[in-house]
Amino acid sequence: MEKRILTFLLVVACSVMGLHARAVKGTVVDQVNEPVIGANVLVNGTVMAVTDFDGNFEIANVPDGATLKFTFMGMKAVEMKATDVMNVQMEDDVRNLDEVVVIGYGSAQAKDLTAPISVVKGEQLLATPAASPMAAMQGKVSGVNVVNSGTPGEGPKVTIRGNGSFTGGSPLYVVDGMFYDNIDFLNANDIADMSVLKDASAAAIYGVRAANGVVLITTKHGNKNQAAKITYNGYVGFQKATNVLPMASSSEYATMLLEANYDAYVSLMKASIDRYGGSYADSDFHKWTYGSNTDWYKELLRTALITDHSLSITGGGEKATYSLGINYLHQDGVMDVSNYYKRLNFRAAVDYEATNWLKVGFNGIFSKGTQRTPNNAAWQQAFNAPGIYPVFDEKNSNYPNHYASPESVGFTNNFYNPVATANYHNSKNDVNKYLTNFYAQINFIPSKLFFRTSYAYDFSQVSNRTYTPEYYVSTTQHNDKSSVSKSEATYKNWIWDNVLTYKDSFGNHNLGVMLGHSLREDRYHYLYGIGYGIVDGDEAYQYISSSQESDSRRASDGGTRYRSNSYFGRINYDYLGKYLLMFTFRADGTSKYQETWGYYPSIGAAWVMSKENFMLDQNAIDYLKLRASWGRLGNNAVPASDGFRSVTTGNGSSAVFGNSLIAGFQNNSYFTNLKWEVVDETNVGFELATLHNRLSVDVDWFYRMTRKAVIAPRLPFENGTLLQNIGKILNTGVDVSINWADRIGDNFKYNIGANLSYIHNEVKSLAGNPYIAGGKTYQFVGEKMNSFYGYKVEGIYQTAEEIAADPTAVANGLKPGDFKYKDLNGDKIVDGNDRTTLGSYLPNFIYSFNLGFQWKNLDFMLTTYGNAGGKMYNRKRALRYAASNYNFDRDQVTNRWTGVGTSNTYPSAEGWIRTWNVSDQRVNDFFVESANFFRIQNVTLGYTFRNIKMGNYTLPAVRLSATADRPLTLFSANAFTPELSDAEGWDTEVYPLTATYTFGVTIDF
Amino acid sequence: MKFLKHIMIAGLLMLGASSCNDWLDILPENTIPEEDVDYTKISEMYMPVSGVYAKLRTGGMHWVIWPLSIIRDGDVWSGRVDDQGLLVDFGNFKYDASFWGLNEMWNQYYGMIKVANGALTSLDNYAANITSDADRATYRAYCGEVRILRAYAYYRLTQAFGDVTILRSNEQSDLTRSTRNAVERYMLEDLQYAIDNCLKVRPNEATHIGAATAYTAELLAAKIRLNRGEYAEAEALTNDIINSKKFALYDDFYNLFKIPGKLCNESLLECQCTDFGQSSGEMVDADMWFVFQGPPMANMEGGWTFVGITDNFINWAKGRGETIRLETSVLEGGTTTRDGDIVNVQGNTNNTNTWNGKAYTPSNQLTPGRTKYGANNNIRIFRYADALLINAEAKVRQGKNGDEPFNLVRTRAKMPTLSNVTIDQILDERRMEFVCEWGERYNDLVRTGKAAEMAGWSESVKYYPVPLTQVQTVPTINNQPKDE
Repeated sequence: MEKRILTFLLVVACSVMGLHARAVKGTVVDQVNEPVIGANVLVNGTVMAVTDFDGNFEIANVPDGATLKFTFMGMKAVEMKATDVMNVQMEDDVRNLDEVVVIGYGSAQAKDLTAPISVVKGEQLLATPAASPMAAMQGKVSGVNVVNSGTPGEGPKVTIRGNGSFTGGSPLYVVDGMFYDNIDFLNANDIADMSVLKDASAAAIYGVRAANGVVLITTKHGNKNQAAKITYNGYVGFQKATNVLPMASSSEYATMLLEANYDAYVSLMKASIDRYGGSYADSDFHKWTYGSNTDWYKELLRTALITDHSLSITGGGEKATYSLGINYLHQDGVMDVSNYYKRLNFRAAVDYEATNWLKVGFNGIFSKGTQRTPNNAAWQQAFNAPGIYPVFDEKNSNYPNHYASPESVGFTNNFYNPVATANYHNSKNDVNKYLTNFYAQINFIPSKLFFRTSYAYDFSQVSNRTYTPEYYVSTTQHNDKSSVSKSEATYKNWIWDNVLTYKDSFGNHNLGVMLGHSLREDRYHYLYGIGYGIVDGDEAYQYISSSQESDSRRASDGGTRYRSNSYFGRINYDYLGKYLLMFTFRADGTSKYQETWGYYPSIGAAWVMSKENFMLDQNAIDYLKLRASWGRLGNNAVPASDGFRSVTTGNGSSAVFGNSLIAGFQNNSYFTNLKWEVVDETNVGFELATLHNRLSVDVDWFYRMTRKAVIAPRLPFENGTLLQNIGKILNTGVDVSINWADRIGDNFKYNIGANLSYIHNEVKSLAGNPYIAGGKTYQFVGEKMNSFYGYKVEGIYQTAEEIAADPTAVANGLKPGDFKYKDLNGDKIVDGNDRTTLGSYLPNFIYSFNLGFQWKNLDFMLTTYGNAGGKMYNRKRALRYAASNYNFDRDQVTNRWTGVGTSNTYPSAEGWIRTWNVSDQRVNDFFVESANFFRIQNVTLGYTFRNIKMGNYTLPAVRLSATADRPLTLFSANAFTPELSDAEGWDTEVYPLTATYTFGVTIDF
Repeated sequence: MKFLKHIMIAGLLMLGASSCNDWLDILPENTIPEEDVDYTKISEMYMPVSGVYAKLRTGGMHWVIWPLSIIRDGDVWSGRVDDQGLLVDFGNFKYDASFWGLNEMWNQYYGMIKVANGALTSLDNYAANITSDADRATYRAYCGEVRILRAYAYYRLTQAFGDVTILRSNEQSDLTRSTRNAVERYMLEDLQYAIDNCLKVRPNEATHIGAATAYTAELLAAKIRLNRGEYAEAEALTNDIINSKKFALYDDFYNLFKIPGKLCNESLLECQCTDFGQSSGEMVDADMWFVFQGPPMANMEGGWTFVGITDNFINWAKGRGETIRLETSVLEGGTTTRDGDIVNVQGNTNNTNTWNGKAYTPSNQLTPGRTKYGANNNIRIFRYADALLINAEAKVRQGKNGDEPFNLVRTRAKMPTLSNVTIDQILDERRMEFVCEWGERYNDLVRTGKAAEMAGWSESVKYYPVPLTQVQTVPTINNQPKDE
């Protein structure tokens, strides 16, 4: 029976394909008769050709009576019956309704979507000189928050529509069917397009992985009937740290400390002057001079190179298409030591129509990256280190370099030589990733029923090698025994998808059905070893096995393995393209949790109002679609279980008897089985095009509730916390994107756009706990996630009378110049009960504006980006609790309280050394700063030379461009940048962000 | 065509085969499930016991517990005004229930109690598989060791907080506190079990070198009895230790707290650490306990410079004519130790210039290659000198003569002997002998009523407040304490 059906299907398939055909060629031009370069020519929904630099195309065999469809970004699609020679004119259109959008396990035309899905083309990312494609996404799509990092090779932190999990978690990236947590290994040149599935109805097809949003990435493929298109794209430029925080000079530092407590600190200043020059002859210490005035930030910074080169060849014939690429990126870090990221990617994609019913394809990406990491601890140390000792001190016997010791002027622990810290660090990650994907597609009924099986395999390996030399700077900064540690982390992940797709039309009814099954396995293993007593010198002989102390060698390993088994399906239905419905469903089974199966349904509906008869007679609105959807998602980025039912063993659970360890175990009965977090999201929105398709507006409101959010409330009587599925987090807000595109005259095209997102984040429930404290921030019901918690500063005590009148000030022995904390509970005493939430790093408002124009061969683009509503914690300053003689930033010096009325916000110099004002126990809102910023994100100017004659050869196009990336950032925080790699907003050890200026060339051969 | 058929069939088979859950039924990697502990291997029965000692080291020696234990002595203060400032206030009996360290102390000791409770459960699981009487005796001895450590944790909790919760099971849901009296009775039960079942050996003679023995239990029980004013019991318990003739004061008071004095015959309980005698590689140690109170050193790695000894104490000791005990107990900035280590003066004169010498391990005693302050040294918890002075006091309190045990301590400290010693002389001796050791002085002041003489002290600040975090997360904690 089965065999007969198959045979029948195949006969149908073959007979459809075997019709008469004709050759078609033609030209596509725009409304001012300029050629449209790169327009897609589709036959039966398949791209069969792409127009060349003169707008020409040619297709060898188009079935008789077929309709050709022409599409191009920013232009209205045109459909025409095939003729031998076709001259096509396209018109500007700000909406791209006919654009094919990749959705989960399939594709759809933008006009058929019921969910907000944003598409970004690979080319749109090229203007940003960034190592990771997601870094370039900043500001491109509303609802997506990208927080970049300055550390070379470290990717950005991305959240889509707010933060819905206490455990963090990144969006799911699906690269050609393979799942990833980040796409830092890709080059923007590898990417054809990215679809951001923002709402739950679009993402639900990815079930338990989808709660943090889904980004689908399609790498470049060739097009049929396209002559080889060879493109070189590259840039070279330099990066410079911006917004470098001005620090106190040696004499400002001395002023602060000597004003604070002359007797306690004078020995430091005199020691510095005695050893490194200067004079303390003057009786007024304000007039002392210092031979050493080190600007540690300046010592740590440099201007650094960034360059990227990419070559790609794309083309296709009647049966086969191909795309090959190679690219190389090298980025040096702005820290003035060897730190860099370099990456070489190879990419190949081949698609082949083996028979008229079978299409096969293969693509592979090989990415070879090397990251030499900086030691970011040096940044915090540089903030804390005063200028009164120099970088080098030839008079000491430190080795291997004569780095000055903080002890040379009398500092004890807590002080370091930051330049030594940065230099005595040698750690490198080699990252190799192989992503391969093979698929076969069997067409049972051409463009109606097909089956696709695809197998994606990712092999990734991260090899770390860290060498620590023997060195001596001070009694607290030294390493007496050189060591080398090596680790190998290996990921072997695969996914096998089988998907059956059916599309058909019955009169005015259009139906699409997709059914699929997916098997997945993720394996991760690591092996780590360390050996001491390693000969200094070359990497070639620095092996653990060459350790001179064989007893010191240690090794450890670990790993995880998870499997999934999933069934999923989707039904699309529309009537006349006017009323659209979509249902999806996914059942995810996973080995990770005790409870195996989770179910993730979604439903979406849209109404294209502008197609209704009553709208036909008006010109005001060109297009209006209303949409609404609901979906359920899961987040399995939470651990499988938590607690101590598992016996703990190892050194931490074993005790010493005599001089040897007797193996022990600890057995504690706290245990929970966890399960995935569940997100329900409702989305309501509209798409509008008006003013003759020049203005487009997309607005979506969403209400996104995470239930069963995993959080670790404190166990009673235990430091231990136990993860439990007890949180509820709400993210609700509005995403707006507005675009205007028009021409002035024939040749001046311009566009203006904005992406705006407003998000309200709130912890809704913690299962009866009023709050749950974390290490850095707290979760309070009714407040934003990750709230800072501490005292509110009311002002500065100005006079002794004010002190005397305040029992709290008397009890704590305060002086004028100290912080006055608010007595929030009104009991006349300021104590731990007067603490409150002081804001959170999560922004409420993310906005970007962009402006672009094209005039003849000149193109220009300006984008801006900003964030508002977030707070950050100036841990750099707050760390003074560890040593009151740390350095100050200049702002602390110039604004200090020096007498009645001089400041009501900044403490006095003496205040800065008092624990009432600076202490881990006295977290207060002075240290909580605004994380708002506004930035000129990118300015690019390009000029394209066309048809350059070079002897007999005509070079179709050369574009030269100059880019200033992040040239200007405005913010009030006392920081390098409000973009922090710490998700909870602690500003410490932050690598500066850079402004990058590049010169780029694109050559089409 | 055939090819296609094969693909289809394979595909359908795959769909069918994978629909069952077998595919998902795999063991998690690198996790030993509890049921995999083989309780029939009686030879491994010490493992849960070792785990409790480990918790004593990793939890009970948390660095913040240390200052909280000693800063109310009057003779010792935080040592730093520029970091952990609340510790200075706490030393002046100004408490802040929201101080993180208070909560840490509470949690670490209860963590120890929970591990001990878990260990007793594990031991019972082993016991179910025991066939020989010898193994049964071993089982009881092991249970006794665990109970000593559990009682130790409760003892520290009652010293700090007074009324605390008795956690009879880790699953207990009513966390109402019990009165200090009730907790003491509970501890004494545990200790009696240990006295009856643990071996009567010196810890350094134990199979597991340095483990707690019946004598450790007797000393802790004697300390509790002394606090309760039950002097006859305190005398009987310490008599038993003394009469065993197994213990002796270590001659060299200076080295008693250093590497040579590790697990000497004076030791009744130590928290043991080791560097395995290796110049590099992992150490098993009490994390920052030594480093926390390390002074700034010129020729070796120092510490965080906390814990100051007051000038008042130093002058008092000098006035007594103390020599070796003063030298051993106090490190002073700007001096050089007899081992040639140079103690620096701190730049900030508001911080202390004297430090706890009992936590000092000379650089020449460190294993070559090791630099961490205090590396490879043990933390002394209970020692024989305490048993002697308790014995003397208990006797004097009952109208007997306490000279003999008392003068043993004096003689070792190179101090002239006294006769017909009085309670006050014994208390002064304890003040000197145990300075900077576990808050012995504060305990003495409180139990004798002398605490009232200290500035800022009143009955209401006798104990630390229950940590705010506990108050906020455990609703029953503020109930009226039970006397059971």
